[in-house]
Amino acid sequence: MEAVVAVLLGLPMTLLVAAAAFAIGLVSGIPLLLGLRSRHRAVRVIVRFVIDLIRAVPPIVWLFVLFFGVSFGALRFNALAAAIIGLGVISAAYLAEIYRGGFATLPAGQTEAARALGLGRRSTFVRVLAPQAVRTALPSIATFLLALVKDSSIASTIGVTDMVFAANTFVRQNPMTAGLTPFFVAAAVYVVISIPLAIVARRLDARLRRSA
Amino acid sequence: MPQLITEANELATAGVTISHLSKSFGTNLVLDDISMTVAAGSVTALIGPSGSGKSTLLRCVNLLEQPDRGTVTVGTTTIEAGTRVSDRSLLALRRQVGMVFQSFNLFPHMTVLRNVAYPQEKILGRSRAEAEERALTLLERVGLRDKAQQHPGRCSGGQQQRIAIVRALALNPRAMLFDEPTSALDPEVGVEVLAVMRELAESGMTMIVVTHEMQFARDVSDHLVVMADGRIIEEGDPRAIMAAPTEERTRRFLSAVLER
Repeated sequence: MEAVVAVLLGLPMTLLVAAAAFAIGLVSGIPLLLGLRSRHRAVRVIVRFVIDLIRAVPPIVWLFVLFFGVSFGALRFNALAAAIIGLGVISAAYLAEIYRGGFATLPAGQTEAARALGLGRRSTFVRVLAPQAVRTALPSIATFLLALVKDSSIASTIGVTDMVFAANTFVRQNPMTAGLTPFFVAAAVYVVISIPLAIVARRLDARLRRSA
Repeated sequence: MPQLITEANELATAGVTISHLSKSFGTNLVLDDISMTVAAGSVTALIGPSGSGKSTLLRCVNLLEQPDRGTVTVGTTTIEAGTRVSDRSLLALRRQVGMVFQSFNLFPHMTVLRNVAYPQEKILGRSRAEAEERALTLLERVGLRDKAQQHPGRCSGGQQQRIAIVRALALNPRAMLFDEPTSALDPEVGVEVLAVMRELAESGMTMIVVTHEMQFARDVSDHLVVMADGRIIEEGDPRAIMAAPTEERTRRFLSAVLER
């Protein structure tokens, strides 16, 4: 029982890290997407390289680099900031790809019809293409969030006091009695969070297939 | 006869002139020095075997494709290939030309009403109320007012195509382009669409129609243009050409289409 309470105390931090990183990713993914769709080849090449680079480096390495590596005077990140920014940047790269995929599935006729009507680039993107692309991408976005909630546990390695950190700490403080219980508790909480998310993702997907 | 065009300013239809237009995709020459004139208020049917370049020609008129050489004139706007076309003159041209596609291309996330109203708000600067009122009037005329609140996905192909026509007409174009508007439809559904087009032609709209509907081409169009291999091989009075084509290539094409 003590173990349950101890681990649950880490839950808010788990949710905070995941939610904040997700929010950063959702927003920062948009400029990356625009870069991928740029009219200028140089921009596309650079953004493509940045996204590939972000995705090529393991998340835990990013967090270590941000936490231990970035430390010029005032710019030293604390563990929470490093975790949120690191996971946020990674999320941005993945979400940009998910957004891009959403746009890629749209028939060329949609752009052509908008252009033929005389709509400008901006209106075509914002009012015609984006709403359809987001709808197409929603299941993938939900699936990504699901993975992010679990992957946020790597923040515990730099000292963010999330559920996994709490479980670890509890085991260390009660080496004789704790056993694996705290980890099972943490696992159970991840399951409780994940399953509804998975159901939402599947529902979205099913609805999308019906309406298509 | 219900009129699709009523307001005085909309009667200002414009002629379309295409002059020495050429276009290649890579090394493939799809349009080879095409020149043709479509008088204001007249209907030109563009026929020919697939791959003859008729759709590409149509798409060059509103610059969905950039021609390599030649000029396109709609009303008073002329676009010269090869020169840098400013966004403004591109918009000026597209504002004058409506286009209807084989695959309708309605916006699936908007209701039928919004499909027709939104472009008016954006392009003509109409208020939402004004644009929706105009949309409802036009939908009424093609018998689809009751579909206004539905999404296009709930409408049949024939209904979607009529909505697409209305969407283009709502912007008061001075000429309309039709790219095989009935090719994706069952024949009995295509009839509804052809009826709307016929009415539009009678109301004095300038129309260029790429089609395989020979009866429509013969009965409705004023001028018939036969294309093959990127060239115009024959043009003139539709009935005359269909009754007695001069070119062997036209003869072969017509007999192939009519035998189907």
